[in-house]
Amino acid sequence: MLLLMVFPLVTTVWLSMNKVLLRSLDVVEWVGFGNYTETFADPDFWRATRFTLLFVGVTVPMQMIIGLGMALLLDRVNRGRAFYLAALLLPFIVTPVVGSLIYKDLFERGGVLAWVIELITDQPFLLTDGNVRWMIIAQAIWHVTPFAMVSMFAGLQTLPEERLEAAAIDGAGFWGNLWHIIVPHLRTIILFVALISIMDAYRVFDSVFVFAGERFQEAHTLQVYNFRVALNANIGRVGKGNAIAILNVIGIFVVLIPFLRESYKEQIAER
Amino acid sequence: MAVGKNPTALSRTGLHAALWLLVIISILPFAWTLAQSTKFTRDAVTREPVLWGWELTSSPYNAFWFDGNVENMWHVVLFLAATTVLALFVAFLGKRAEKGTYYFIGVGVILGIAIWIFPNFFDVSSEYEFFVNSVIVTVLTVLISISIGLLAGYGLARFSGVSGAVILLVALAFRALPRTAFVLPYFFAAQALGILDSRFVIVLSLVAVNQPFTIWMLRSFFMEVPKEIEEAAMVDGAGPFTAFRKVIVPIMWPGVIATALFTFLLAYNEYLFVRVLAPTNWTLPVAIVSLTGGESSRTITEAAAASVSITLPIVIVIILFQKHLVKGLGAGAVKG
Repeated sequence: MLLLMVFPLVTTVWLSMNKVLLRSLDVVEWVGFGNYTETFADPDFWRATRFTLLFVGVTVPMQMIIGLGMALLLDRVNRGRAFYLAALLLPFIVTPVVGSLIYKDLFERGGVLAWVIELITDQPFLLTDGNVRWMIIAQAIWHVTPFAMVSMFAGLQTLPEERLEAAAIDGAGFWGNLWHIIVPHLRTIILFVALISIMDAYRVFDSVFVFAGERFQEAHTLQVYNFRVALNANIGRVGKGNAIAILNVIGIFVVLIPFLRESYKEQIAER
Repeated sequence: MAVGKNPTALSRTGLHAALWLLVIISILPFAWTLAQSTKFTRDAVTREPVLWGWELTSSPYNAFWFDGNVENMWHVVLFLAATTVLALFVAFLGKRAEKGTYYFIGVGVILGIAIWIFPNFFDVSSEYEFFVNSVIVTVLTVLISISIGLLAGYGLARFSGVSGAVILLVALAFRALPRTAFVLPYFFAAQALGILDSRFVIVLSLVAVNQPFTIWMLRSFFMEVPKEIEEAAMVDGAGPFTAFRKVIVPIMWPGVIATALFTFLLAYNEYLFVRVLAPTNWTLPVAIVSLTGGESSRTITEAAAASVSITLPIVIVIILFQKHLVKGLGAGAVKG
């Protein structure tokens, strides 16, 4: 099993140092760090990096905040809770490419949301390179928020009632409760959800690939860019694609090291 | 516990209104797609969306699943309804019987046979083959992942000093890695071994990327089972394997179901691996995306019908297993 995971990484590193084309996979030519320098000189790489950072930077905080709000609402309701949970979970478990397709259809010509936007702005609405990035971000928030919601909801179930009663006697309001009792209680969970969400947002592929397609290259994330470089039927540069993959791996670990350290410490502390 | 006790009637109404608003936001895209899938093309691509009173048709489903070859779609409905009733009946018997497991295997057999003989009754399109691929890949991935995960998770929970934190870190680290860092080497290796474009290579790669997570999750469920229960079984003369199978696994069954659900979703929803490793032997997600690749409006209703079809099993899963799913998601977070 370890073989199935370590082998790919070693192969990726090796391939990234070679020039390999998709149409002739057996011709392998050593180029050292050539693929890396070429990637750094590629404006598409930097464009994809910028959009990926924007994507992570907006979707993760939004899903945490909305998710917490939804969890608090769910926590206060008793009747029909199972129904609400099931309905609200659906966007999270639906096939990502399908979620993306049906969302895109809402914004296409003749779609309900495109029509509503036209009614409000009184102007024809078209998907463009500029606005499609925000549509993708909106779709991603719709897609992933239920995960934060369910996790925080589970955490709220373990919050002892007495703490809130004591706070109520001290005259704490809703925001006071939220900030001084609920958020500290959910600390571990918030950290965990943030960790998972950052990882998932960083490596998002399916939904963006489908939503942006070839039409909206402004909205390509790093993974989509990587896929296109490596496996495009005409040029398919597998070597360079692997170099980008390695850079992505390094990138995510740089982002995650503080989180991984923190959650490791919490695990140790709990034992 | 509830944040703020004894809500007044007014605030309770507001609460439900807020939740309903969220439900509508969640469901609206699905509802729109369901509506689109029952329209003729002329009603689906109008300038102003047709929101009610359109002429219902099953032709998009006919086009996707049968290339428009089925004369009477009611026959298909009848077949599906008969299968569903039979499966539900056996499942119902299983719920009341003592050895329920056999009945649930029976449900699987019924569904398997139905999928197998379906093409004998109806002139199916090539998409049906992709559906069969989806079923096979999903079932195999779940079975293999859970089998390995149960044994490894049990071993790690009982017999080793490896701490949960380390396994969690490995699982998280591999979850963090972009899929492209895996898929390119797999592609390269599969090409070299000549197994590219097979179901086998898809299952293998999905098991590989999912396994650390499965092991970690099952291990944490094993940790909840008190060791004394197992020791009591062994004192009564059961060997370690019997104790494991007859005593431990039944106790943590809900945890197994939760883990299996996540594996199911992962395999059923996978796009990138299938697209790269199986250039022609697709599963449903790849088939649907290829359908909508062009800008032709002819396929909009067909794509909607396909989207509804692929989402249906997921809706069934969430209705049947909502509790397990929530528990599993919650458990991951609370323990993590």
